[in-house]
Amino acid sequence: MKDFFYTKKFKILLAVAVLLAGMMAWAGANNRLNSAPQEILGAVLMPFQKAARLMEGGVEGLLDKYVRIDSILEENERLAEENTRLREQLVDYDKMKIQLKALQGMANIMEENPEYAYAEAFVIGRDPLAQFGSFTIDKGTAQGVNKNDVVVSDRGYLVGRVQEAGINSSRVMTILQPGSYTACAISRTRDSGNLNGSSEYAPDGLCILENVSRDTLAVVGDEVITTGLGGEFPPDIRVGAISQLLPESSGKSAIAVVEPGADINNIKYVYIMTSK
Amino acid sequence: MTSLRRRKWILTAKWTVYFLLLMVAATLQTVPGFLVLGSMRPIFILPLCLAVATYEGEFAGALFGALGGLLWDFTSGRVSGLLALGLLVICFFVSILVQLYLRGNATNFVLVNAAACFLVVGVDFLFYYLMPGYVERALRFWSVALPTVVFTAALSPLALYAVRAVSNRLTVEE
Repeated sequence: MKDFFYTKKFKILLAVAVLLAGMMAWAGANNRLNSAPQEILGAVLMPFQKAARLMEGGVEGLLDKYVRIDSILEENERLAEENTRLREQLVDYDKMKIQLKALQGMANIMEENPEYAYAEAFVIGRDPLAQFGSFTIDKGTAQGVNKNDVVVSDRGYLVGRVQEAGINSSRVMTILQPGSYTACAISRTRDSGNLNGSSEYAPDGLCILENVSRDTLAVVGDEVITTGLGGEFPPDIRVGAISQLLPESSGKSAIAVVEPGADINNIKYVYIMTSK
Repeated sequence: MTSLRRRKWILTAKWTVYFLLLMVAATLQTVPGFLVLGSMRPIFILPLCLAVATYEGEFAGALFGALGGLLWDFTSGRVSGLLALGLLVICFFVSILVQLYLRGNATNFVLVNAAACFLVVGVDFLFYYLMPGYVERALRFWSVALPTVVFTAALSPLALYAVRAVSNRLTVEE
């Protein structure tokens, strides 16, 4: 075994280790997460992740059909045909109602921000080590997605922003991440504050609005929206509703615990606001 | 005795299958909602790299570990090279451990996986939760990090059996 340390193979391993350490230093110095080899690996991985997502959808569809067949068999034979038709109509109506509600929220955002283009993206990756609900989407620079682009849910609620854009996939940092500051305000009272992630509340899918005036008249249930200050996020994007109001430890201001309107830990597809 | 041409073909086929297995492992690890228990889910890349290191020796195993680590860095959003460097070292030592001291059976593999996973998850916890000083970090360690280690170790024989099957079928006769 001792001889191995004097072989060419060991020197190659040492060189690879030095190369990886160099990559790490480069990434750290340039505030990047990925390097060129990873971009290539990510591009190779993407078709596998897309296929897995499609298979997941297929299984769900199969289960749906099975449940529906089961319910049809239980129906009265005489009325089966008519009932089926009516039930299908009802299902279509419900689906359309949900879709309409979802699209309405998104349509409002599109109307209010015509200077942006909107790219639809599917969530294709959530790693066990991923922090604070961060995830990977199937759109990248090839589809016009760039670093710091704003990500919203299908109902138009703020989800986060693009942390790193690859060729055909991107990594999204969510609003649950501590340090992901977003200038926001309480819609009804216009009290402003900084929306931030909190390691205390993130496991429950909540975030906090910091530096809210101590004399705020806000109450639980009030909507929180972005203000557009700082220019990173467009104004008037809905974030969620206040679920709790607490005094800050210093006593100078208040903290509002916010329940995001988007189910960040389980969201399956999102819209990215890209510049036109 | 295998001819040089056939030997090349077998080696190419074997490493292609290993690479495809790595892609499958990375996909299973990241598919939203797959095998999620509460807020934890198993890691598949690490057991696969350790299984390859067990069967292919310290040099090839360490390089495969570095490749797997690079992919894992990408999927988990860690700084480029961090997990790659970790897996290179871990796979190197696990391969030596198996060659010198351990029998390559499933029980030993589960234990080695648990130790390696604990090391990786522990270092990640140190850098990404403990050092930034997040509150509720102890809760996260007990409720997410440790169960992830157990979950990963419990499913690790799948990687061992897959790699064993590939290694046995695509062997170069000396």
